[in-house]
Amino acid sequence: MITFIPPRLRVPLLYGIATLLFAAAWVVRGGKTWWFAILVIVTGFVRVAVLYRGGGTDTDAGALAGSRADERLKVVSTRSWALSGRTAMIASFLGVTAAIAVRAEWWWPFAVMLVLTGFGYLFGLSNNGFDSEDQDGAYAERNEPSPSRR
Amino acid sequence: MRNRVKEQRAAHGLSQADLGAALGVSRQTVISIESGRYLPSLPLAFRIARFFDMPVDKMFDPEDEESGS
Repeated sequence: MITFIPPRLRVPLLYGIATLLFAAAWVVRGGKTWWFAILVIVTGFVRVAVLYRGGGTDTDAGALAGSRADERLKVVSTRSWALSGRTAMIASFLGVTAAIAVRAEWWWPFAVMLVLTGFGYLFGLSNNGFDSEDQDGAYAERNEPSPSRR
Repeated sequence: MRNRVKEQRAAHGLSQADLGAALGVSRQTVISIESGRYLPSLPLAFRIARFFDMPVDKMFDPEDEESGS
């Protein structure tokens, strides 16, 4: 579905949707601080405008904001996401460990994060060809020399 | 790994932006390749070599890495 959206709009649109969801959560929460939702929307949409404007600039940040990353920027971005995922996993592990130690009731959000990041890692391995058998390996299994060694 | 991208680009009178546009990458990526900060993928290395009509092993020289420096 996202391919139907012009590339320059994709990141600002996702940011806008996230802003609206977060603001909606404040409204649903109710109470005296409901007005915080307005602040979230205003600052969020200023950020959306900045992202859209930045998406047109000839910089690495502009290319990321404008969804026109080339292979180098995709590598850089993937490494950053990997670091982000690793950080989340370590933080959730520390959180669940600390919660267990102090017999806290807030252990489960950390456990959920730990399971999700762990599942994401395993899914990433299987999705990116982990442990795929190459042709030489297949020949070796049958104790035959591969064609390249005959 | 050394490469001759900068040298060839200058010899052809191209700017980094021109070369980036011709190869389908950004100007910043051309800068990173020229300075050796980024090793291009095999398809991009071949595109660069073909663009300058050079063999890929002449465009990218692994000599530095092989000598253990």
